[in-house]
Amino acid sequence: MFGRKRSAADFQAEIEAHLALEADDLKGEGFSADEARWKAQREFGNVRAAQERFYLKGRPVLLEKLLRDIRFGFRSLLESPGFAIAAVLTLALGIGANTAVFSVMNAVLLKSLPVTDPASLVYLQTSDAPRGTGTIDTNQTFSYAVYDALRRQSKALTAVIAYVPLSGSKVAVRYGTDPEEAEGDMVSGTFFSGLGVNLPVGRGFTADDEARHAPLAVISYNYWTRRFARDRDVLGKTLYVNAVPMTIVGVAAPGFEGVEGGGSTDFWIPLQNRGELNAWGNPPNEGKLYINDPTWWCLRLIGRLAPGVNRTQALASLQPVFQSAAYIELGGSPKPGEKPPVLSLEDAKGFTGYDRMYGNPLRTLMAMVGLVLLIALANVVMLLLARNAARQREFSVRQALGAGRGELFRQLLTESLILVSAGGVLAWGFAEMATRLLGRWAQIESSLAPDRTVLLFTLGVLALAGLLFGLAPLQVALAGKAELAIRTTAAASHADEGKSRIGRMIVVLQMTLCVGLLVGAGLLIRTLRNLENTPLGMHADGLVVFGVNPNIPSLQAGRSFYLDLMGKLRALPGVESVTIVLERLGSGASNNSDMMVDAKLPDVVGGGSRTVRSNVAGPGFFTTLGVPVLAGRDFADSDTAKTPFVGIVNEEFARRFLPGANPLGHTFGPENGQVKINIIGVVKDHKYRSIDEKPIPMAWYMYAQIPVIGAMNVEMRVHGDPLAILPAARNVVQQLDPNLPLIQPMTQRAQFDTTVAQQILFARLAGFFGLLAIVLVGTGLYGTLAYRVSMRTPEIGVRMAVGARREQVVWMVLKDSVALTVAGVVIGIPLAMLVGRALASSLYGIEPLDAATYLLAVAGVAAVALVASAIPAGRAASVDPMRALRVE
Amino acid sequence: MATQENNEDRIALLQGTLDLLILKTLLMGPCHGQGVARIIQRQSEDVFLVDHGSLYVALQRLEDKCWISARWGVSENNRKARFYSLTAKGREQLNEKTGEWRRLTRAMNLILDSASGLKGEEA
Repeated sequence: MFGRKRSAADFQAEIEAHLALEADDLKGEGFSADEARWKAQREFGNVRAAQERFYLKGRPVLLEKLLRDIRFGFRSLLESPGFAIAAVLTLALGIGANTAVFSVMNAVLLKSLPVTDPASLVYLQTSDAPRGTGTIDTNQTFSYAVYDALRRQSKALTAVIAYVPLSGSKVAVRYGTDPEEAEGDMVSGTFFSGLGVNLPVGRGFTADDEARHAPLAVISYNYWTRRFARDRDVLGKTLYVNAVPMTIVGVAAPGFEGVEGGGSTDFWIPLQNRGELNAWGNPPNEGKLYINDPTWWCLRLIGRLAPGVNRTQALASLQPVFQSAAYIELGGSPKPGEKPPVLSLEDAKGFTGYDRMYGNPLRTLMAMVGLVLLIALANVVMLLLARNAARQREFSVRQALGAGRGELFRQLLTESLILVSAGGVLAWGFAEMATRLLGRWAQIESSLAPDRTVLLFTLGVLALAGLLFGLAPLQVALAGKAELAIRTTAAASHADEGKSRIGRMIVVLQMTLCVGLLVGAGLLIRTLRNLENTPLGMHADGLVVFGVNPNIPSLQAGRSFYLDLMGKLRALPGVESVTIVLERLGSGASNNSDMMVDAKLPDVVGGGSRTVRSNVAGPGFFTTLGVPVLAGRDFADSDTAKTPFVGIVNEEFARRFLPGANPLGHTFGPENGQVKINIIGVVKDHKYRSIDEKPIPMAWYMYAQIPVIGAMNVEMRVHGDPLAILPAARNVVQQLDPNLPLIQPMTQRAQFDTTVAQQILFARLAGFFGLLAIVLVGTGLYGTLAYRVSMRTPEIGVRMAVGARREQVVWMVLKDSVALTVAGVVIGIPLAMLVGRALASSLYGIEPLDAATYLLAVAGVAAVALVASAIPAGRAASVDPMRALRVE
Repeated sequence: MATQENNEDRIALLQGTLDLLILKTLLMGPCHGQGVARIIQRQSEDVFLVDHGSLYVALQRLEDKCWISARWGVSENNRKARFYSLTAKGREQLNEKTGEWRRLTRAMNLILDSASGLKGEEA
């Protein structure tokens, strides 16, 4: 059987020998040579069939049957290629979309940090920061003093891990001669050992490296691959970070892309103590760096719980340490009336930032594609039911000819499984592509490659589909009776009433889901249009922006660097105006604090917030941006360190803090009251952090008058394509300092678009899935109705023969779909309201109960239903009564 | 095991009888497939026409069961051919099957003969 002794070639040789012998014999009987050969061949019969039987003989019976079923299944599917293609594509789209969204969700929300025992890791969070401090995130960042105090205790946490980015975006690095930009973090010596991240090449950092502020770097596996082509010789080479040389000592484990949510970190260096490498790329604040500035809470902290210590116990021993450390060098205790900040511990299993950024949209998308999948599965089930019903005669004949019921079931199941497998394979390919696109659009830089969880998910969905589609043939196997073959008539077609009830229920279900999806998609698309059409309050087109992070030895040198830079850039051909700004507009970053107005904390009418967003700008800032100056003037080159301090506020600032007064001539200043700035201008409210924000009080300092200077963004207004100026600008920058790359150069419009890129992506995807749903519902409806009409052809023939008019027949058919549509819409609207409520937080400028959107969705479903029924209805009306009756 | 279509006098071989016929033919000595077919045809006075495809599949089946053995040789008119011969096991099977067949035909005859008698009475 398995150790077959004979080859097929040997068998072939035997048959040839036979033919030769037979021909010899025939020649002996008096035939000519040709005749003999021909006759021998003819008498042998089908040589191929014999060979095939030789092949099949000796194979296990089950395998043989399976092969036969599969071959039969393919043949029978090929007989109706339209059905097969429709079913496979529907499945591929439905399952592929689910796999893609699930991959992203899996990578972003479900996957744990790639570290040892993530369950014992906790993020340290605080209820607030003490008064008089600045934070990166009110709840998640701490001062170096707090970190230092917490790491000195050892009972609750075995390791305290501190990390902080070197910049809000990317920092200038240089390997060899070409400057480039990369994402880098400064980390504590416990970073790799405490998290339990392996280093396949080289080593991580130690407590000693941190204490010495050692000039070392560990690069990510991804960066190693991307930039160094996994060259092991990279160890010991020098990576210049903001022109400071760092020796590469290790490569982190593959898949570890840092603990910053949203981006992927390219390299890590130990916590440093030098101006060029301050946290977040900030210039020193009054000569202080993050490491000795107790008022700047900028470090994120992760702790590893000591074995056997739970969170409550850990918190109990950490709380007093934290609360006293919070006020080190801040007067030692809270100010009167100030509530001390409270420490808390949060799960550090996943990426915190991710959940906040992508959690809701992804869950909503998952629900949407889930609905699409339901519709798709329902469609294929209906197609299968219809097809099997149409093949009733074939089944009956085959049963009458002796095919067992089990045999029939097995063959139909094989057909279903072929569909599911083909759909699954196609879906996987489709999902791979879609996942990559999703990742690129959503700017998720961490790995989205499908892993085992995703594979299991897809296989689960496929199994569900297989099971569902297995039920369809089961029904045939149970219902099929041999006698039916002989009486497939109008009477018999009525026997299908029960089956079509299932079909009707599925159609109603599909319409219901479709209404829900369309309302969701509609709301999001309207949101998208609102976002795209939101005025920015400035003239963003024609503006290009890039960052520079020069090495600045002194305040004076910094000021003259920028003065020099602006002068040289203004001289470039095609440049209209050039200015600089600290926080880039549309980057999501902002500097928020309470401010003194006229030397006191302002009373806000109605108890509104006192928070002011401040920024530092260069001469001609508002003119360059195209923000209208409503009163007073813009910053000018003539405002210098030697002239009176000048500032500009926006309308909202004036409205909230100086109601009814002319703001010009009043003053504002930081909370400590040390500086007073004269308001010389009021500008119109405009978008600052993002497109979807509401106006907030803002104040601008003049860059040449404040005591810190560091990295800045350059804004250039140019004629023609804004990006075309970049090569010339790069030349200018590198003439001043060959180490400097242009950091994240892009148009100001593109920069603003990034703030809503996610909503836009979300809306587009939702729109796409809505469209997909309606196409699926349309085809499903068409298929069902067309099938029903074809089953009723004899009945319609009889009706027309006894005098029914065309319109009556059309109405008879249409009536059916109208009823289904009404039912679908009635059930669909409450579902849509649920969808709307779930989406509420993602909407902009539109209510979740927007009537127009609901009407549009209902109209859409109705239109599709009408079109899908009109064709079969028309066909029904053109039935030739004689022909229909002859079918009997 | 079908007979050739256009010969009405010829009778389809019953399932399993081809094996018996092959074994019987080989009892007379080693023979190649074409020879077996010819002999069966001739000895049945052209009533049985062996479907050659089935014959070779049957030969292979018997060989797999070790009832017959085969090896390549040269025919009387100098052609290469695969010669089959009966094994001891095959001889045993032949005896057994022949006995079975005899019992079957006897039983058939008993029934058919008595039936014709009845028919005769009626007539």
